[in-house]
Amino acid sequence: MKPPPFQYHDPKTLAEAVGLLGTLDNAKLLAGGQSLMPMLNMRFVLPDHVIDLNLVEGMAGIKETDGVLEIGAMTRQRELEFSDLVAAKCPLLHQALMHVGHRQTRNRGTIGGSLCHLDPAAELVTVCMAHDATIAVAGPGGTREIAFADFPAGYLTPAIELNEIVTAIRIPVWPAGHKAAFIEFSRRHGDFAIVSAAALLQIDGGRITRASLTIGGVAVAPVRATEVEQAIVGQAPTSELFAKVCESCRSFEAMADIHASAEYRQHLAVVLARRALEKAADLADNAPWNRAH
Amino acid sequence: MAATLNPSDAKVGSQVGRSVPRLEGRDKVTGRAEYTHVMRLPGMVYAKLFRSTVAHGKIKSIDTSAAKKVPGVLHVVTVDDVMKVLKSPYYGPAFHDQPILAHEKVRFVGEPVAAVIATDPHIAEQAVQLITAEYEEMPAVFDEVEALTSDVFVHEQLKPAHTFADLKHLKDAKNTNVALSYNLRRGDFDKAFAAAEHQFEHEFKTQKVLHLSFEPFACICDFKDTHVTFYDSSQGPSFVRTEIARLLGWPENKVRIKVPYLGSGYGSKLYIKLEALALALAMIARKPVKVAHTFEEMFYQITRHPSTFRIKSGVDKNGKIVARKCEVYWNGGAYADIGPRVTQKSGLTAAGPYDIDNVWIDSHALYTNVTPSGALRGFGVPQLVWAYEGHTDMMARALKMDPVEFRRKNLAIEGRAHATGQILQDHPIEKVMDKVLERMEWSKPFDRGGNSHIKRGRGFAIANKAVISPTTSVAIVNVSADGSATLYCGTVDMGQGSDTAMAQMVAEVLNIPTEDVRVTPRDTDVTPYDMGTLGSRSLFHMGHAVRRAAEDARDKLKALAKEVGEPEGSNIPIAELFQKRYGMQAGNVIGSGIYKPDYTSPAPGTGQSPNVTPFWMLAGSGAEVEVDTETGHVKITKLITVVDCGKAINPKSVETQISGAALMHLGFTMFEKMHIDGGQVTNASLADYKIPGFHDLPTKLESLYVEHDQSNGPFGAKGVGEVATFCVGPALANAIDDACGVRIMEMPLNAETVYRALRAKMGKPLEDA
Repeated sequence: MKPPPFQYHDPKTLAEAVGLLGTLDNAKLLAGGQSLMPMLNMRFVLPDHVIDLNLVEGMAGIKETDGVLEIGAMTRQRELEFSDLVAAKCPLLHQALMHVGHRQTRNRGTIGGSLCHLDPAAELVTVCMAHDATIAVAGPGGTREIAFADFPAGYLTPAIELNEIVTAIRIPVWPAGHKAAFIEFSRRHGDFAIVSAAALLQIDGGRITRASLTIGGVAVAPVRATEVEQAIVGQAPTSELFAKVCESCRSFEAMADIHASAEYRQHLAVVLARRALEKAADLADNAPWNRAH
Repeated sequence: MAATLNPSDAKVGSQVGRSVPRLEGRDKVTGRAEYTHVMRLPGMVYAKLFRSTVAHGKIKSIDTSAAKKVPGVLHVVTVDDVMKVLKSPYYGPAFHDQPILAHEKVRFVGEPVAAVIATDPHIAEQAVQLITAEYEEMPAVFDEVEALTSDVFVHEQLKPAHTFADLKHLKDAKNTNVALSYNLRRGDFDKAFAAAEHQFEHEFKTQKVLHLSFEPFACICDFKDTHVTFYDSSQGPSFVRTEIARLLGWPENKVRIKVPYLGSGYGSKLYIKLEALALALAMIARKPVKVAHTFEEMFYQITRHPSTFRIKSGVDKNGKIVARKCEVYWNGGAYADIGPRVTQKSGLTAAGPYDIDNVWIDSHALYTNVTPSGALRGFGVPQLVWAYEGHTDMMARALKMDPVEFRRKNLAIEGRAHATGQILQDHPIEKVMDKVLERMEWSKPFDRGGNSHIKRGRGFAIANKAVISPTTSVAIVNVSADGSATLYCGTVDMGQGSDTAMAQMVAEVLNIPTEDVRVTPRDTDVTPYDMGTLGSRSLFHMGHAVRRAAEDARDKLKALAKEVGEPEGSNIPIAELFQKRYGMQAGNVIGSGIYKPDYTSPAPGTGQSPNVTPFWMLAGSGAEVEVDTETGHVKITKLITVVDCGKAINPKSVETQISGAALMHLGFTMFEKMHIDGGQVTNASLADYKIPGFHDLPTKLESLYVEHDQSNGPFGAKGVGEVATFCVGPALANAIDDACGVRIMEMPLNAETVYRALRAKMGKPLEDA
């Protein structure tokens, strides 16, 4: 299929883009197009205007300032995948990117586009939740920042106004030497994950001093397993500990669809939570599920 | 090198048995090959369909007024308009039950109700969205077992086509959803079963899956008052011509079907699909009309039959199966298509490749309110093997016998009678089995894995199938005055490599290089009759016709040599022969060949026949898996499939037919499923219905064949298009059972299904967690 007719706009500056978005009715922003284009072609969305952000200057790039990784919203996923800075400072993001679609879609897909589409199973959404990222937004009234915990407003719905544009993602990096693991369970390699798990651990003197555990794909937005995080801080990392505390993930509210029932998603949350922690803590280097495809 | 009459270096077998690269390969990979889906004719217009949103209902009204007003829209057509140009709008191969557009009633969600013809396909698409319809909804029936006894009837009365003698008694039958019941009776099942030491009964199911050819359905009709031409993505142009001629009341010679290359078919593009609709629309538009589906629309055209198979076996104290009863229910969907043939032709092999004295088979074709079901690479046999090979393993386990030894004890070998009564010939089933086991290293100790959560297992399955019979093929070989040869045959090359294989047979007989043989594109004005490219029949049936045509041409060339005074054994260049006879480069030598195998109709009621099939297809598969018992995820570490091909005309093509069929079936087994909710397909797109990709390949995939000369086959060969699909499903299910002790009775074997079975086995069902 092809989309029904719409008006195409290609602003060159952020101010121009914000201006268009604020004045046009029923407009959609086009970033990498990896979700919007199929949705247009299948007529799931029917905008009157499409505002293409690809020519807007200054919306892409990766830099680190004062322990915060700042990524422009229009930065391609493939660029992040090959960034030495990302690999060094944010290994979780680096690992997660390997699961994002396929090479062809990563060439075009952007981090901002993925976050705004806000698929419950999207890897980049899970990483931002795990890292307590901040989302920078520009609107007619100026700019503002949104803590990622407040960013998902519902299924496929970010908490931004209709006239706002996400401009950057700020990820506070963890201290050097921290451990990260991103794993997921999908129907087939490259498909959307049914459930994913992202673990960050800081281990000093044989004890966990800081922990972050996030489960994606179970609920409408990724969930932080705060109960697990609290239970493991101060403890020595062991498989027995992780197995015991991760049972709490079974109580997450879960979606059901044709790909997986709610109770199966909850069960996978338990298994993947434990496996992600084990992987981050180097307890499962030889586990078959950690082998490359 | 010029072709000569008796080349001195002639070598028998120099062309047959060669892995000749595809003759059309370069055209295809460089984008030069012609396909209907991308073809355009001058002045052509486009049609798109408005489809039913209810599963069963009376049409109260259709409002096309808004669609008609869209600029670029030429016509908006309902069945009333169709009936002004074609009095009876019903078509079909077994029953004339399918209306060109819904007539009075709709019978499945997605059934075409109206069509928009426009100057541009996207305009047509847009206008379709402006059509509305009102229905008086009726109760619907979706399940094949329920359909047998339901008081919901999909059709008011049955309308068998006159083509099939065994359907005649169903004419005008009312109050039934049964389109055909096939019965086989051999020995006395009841008595033998009651007396058997061990008795087993299981019920297996298969889900609704579909072909998903790379090239979706497409048809262009160019109608003139005196003749009509179709450009058609069809596996059976001869049948299309007959059916279109019937609809028009015209002789066949006024109907022309041209078939370019097909982007695969797998049985979906058989018999008649979009052609009757395209005809009606072209008659209304008085311009060439193209109907071409999107991928999403394929979910509403034709699928494989879901099935329920109740199987019972009695086994004596020595582990010999003495009695078997098979009750098979085929979910045919809203229109019969070729379902009754699937029911009968696969029904006769429902008891498997085993030597059983007492067999009872009932196989029922049922109408339901879902997308019609038809032939899909195996004509129902993969659904049967899924059941009987799972059943075989379950019995072996219960009897504490090795599943392979249990099979060996019961296999029907050459010289024994099949359940139909036919004495098995060219049926080297043990050879196939042994080759699988050898490649699996079955006799060596098996590594069950050291990880507590990952369990390793292996499984085996074996099967046979009868080729559909009796069917006819005709071929022509034309030798031109320069000595070059052209083959006219109706077999459609849809990716299987038939053009190359047929050319190899011509080249073998005429002693010329295969690459010098031209295979004409299919065109019913030019290429002679062929029953259809289906059921692995082409290499055998058309192969015979092609061989005979080439031999006829060769004999005529020799006669020509004699006529012009050449001595016996002369090696005169063919071109000189024509020069001598006609005084210039002129003339043709035309050889023709026809083949139809011997056949005896099965006796009504008992299905007994001494000659029900001209050859048997045999396949075996072995699988090794790793089951993650924490998630149910199954990783396939090894998949080995062995078939008997008689003689490999083109070894590379045989190998790729096996690997392609095995992978296609891996998808059906592991994850493919059309989800249907109240008749509505909820995953009708490739985003939600996934087919196998490269990442789904088993770690080790082996596709092998044995060559057991098929004594009545052309050059000892037989077809291999479907055979590798048969055993993949049960081999995987048997391997999963071997790994972790759970038995799954219904495909697909996705992770959640396996995990749920594991939990159920532990006595802690997941839903109770």
